[in-house]
Amino acid sequence: MQVNELIIKTGWKNVTTSSNTSREIEGAFVGDLLSFVMGNGDTDNAWITIQAHINVVAVAVLREFSCVIVCENIDIDKSVIEKANEEDLVIISCSLPIYECSKKLIELGI
Amino acid sequence: MYYDLHIHSCLSPCGNDEMTINNICNMAIIKGLDLISITDHNSTLNLRALKKISESTGIKIIYGVEVQTIEEVHILGYFKTLEEILVFQKWLDDNIIKTKNKPEYFGNQLIVDENDKVINSYDNLLLMSINCNIEECCKTIHKYGGKVVLAHVVDRTNSICTQLGFIPKNLKFDGIEIKNFEQKEKVENIHPWLKNKFWFINSDAHQLIDISERENFISKESLNEFWR
Repeated sequence: MQVNELIIKTGWKNVTTSSNTSREIEGAFVGDLLSFVMGNGDTDNAWITIQAHINVVAVAVLREFSCVIVCENIDIDKSVIEKANEEDLVIISCSLPIYECSKKLIELGI
Repeated sequence: MYYDLHIHSCLSPCGNDEMTINNICNMAIIKGLDLISITDHNSTLNLRALKKISESTGIKIIYGVEVQTIEEVHILGYFKTLEEILVFQKWLDDNIIKTKNKPEYFGNQLIVDENDKVINSYDNLLLMSINCNIEECCKTIHKYGGKVVLAHVVDRTNSICTQLGFIPKNLKFDGIEIKNFEQKEKVENIHPWLKNKFWFINSDAHQLIDISERENFISKESLNEFWR
């Protein structure tokens, strides 16, 4: 599934202006400790997290994630969105808790 | 001056109840330390007693607190005066995520006077985060006249490297706390851009026995430089 398809099917919001929405999502990775995500995340995964620090952008780019999904409606600072735009990384904001968000992705066949 | 600038008192739930202010100061004196800081989690309520004991025993102190940011990173805020840190405390009180302590799980949070008498016990859990990101926390410490030292930077829990992967390039801070000199090399290798930072080796003691020995030295000039 592509990132744009996920956005349409879930109604979750792309908070960036990144145009990289045709990227394929091959799977999903859940984690909030960035050191762990840096060491264990897989390319082309959607990364589900409640961490919204600016380092999230660097870690997502490094691991070549297809997008980042920030759960629980957590505030994403303007500086983080600007950095994501610069890197053409899609950050999606979702109101669901991580578990419910993961279930939704499974339901959609990811 | 031989120092240990990261010691928890009985106010920290994880701190041993024997970590009263007299016990800490006297143990530090026995160990030959000249300068200490008591840095409880998100609270400065035992620092009035520390000021009095410092005046009566002559041990030098820095007013400190260990702040937990929303990313669950621990940073140390150091202040020159009690007045400054108490103003900062007001900001901590306004921004900490509030939940009641359960002493049977987390431990006691004891407020003591200069005679080690327990005068109160703090109700809200001090192990919670401040509801602000690390940049905001550092900015606020600076705004109130303090200095920021990143606590135990390569520890597996609550360190900036664990929580955030690495030290963000634009983060404004003053010093880095490590456990030994090998860690300094490790941190410098990952962050070659780090320049003009002060390096501190502290104990992060939660019980008396763990307070540093007379091993880590900072000159008066370096300390003045740190405050500049």
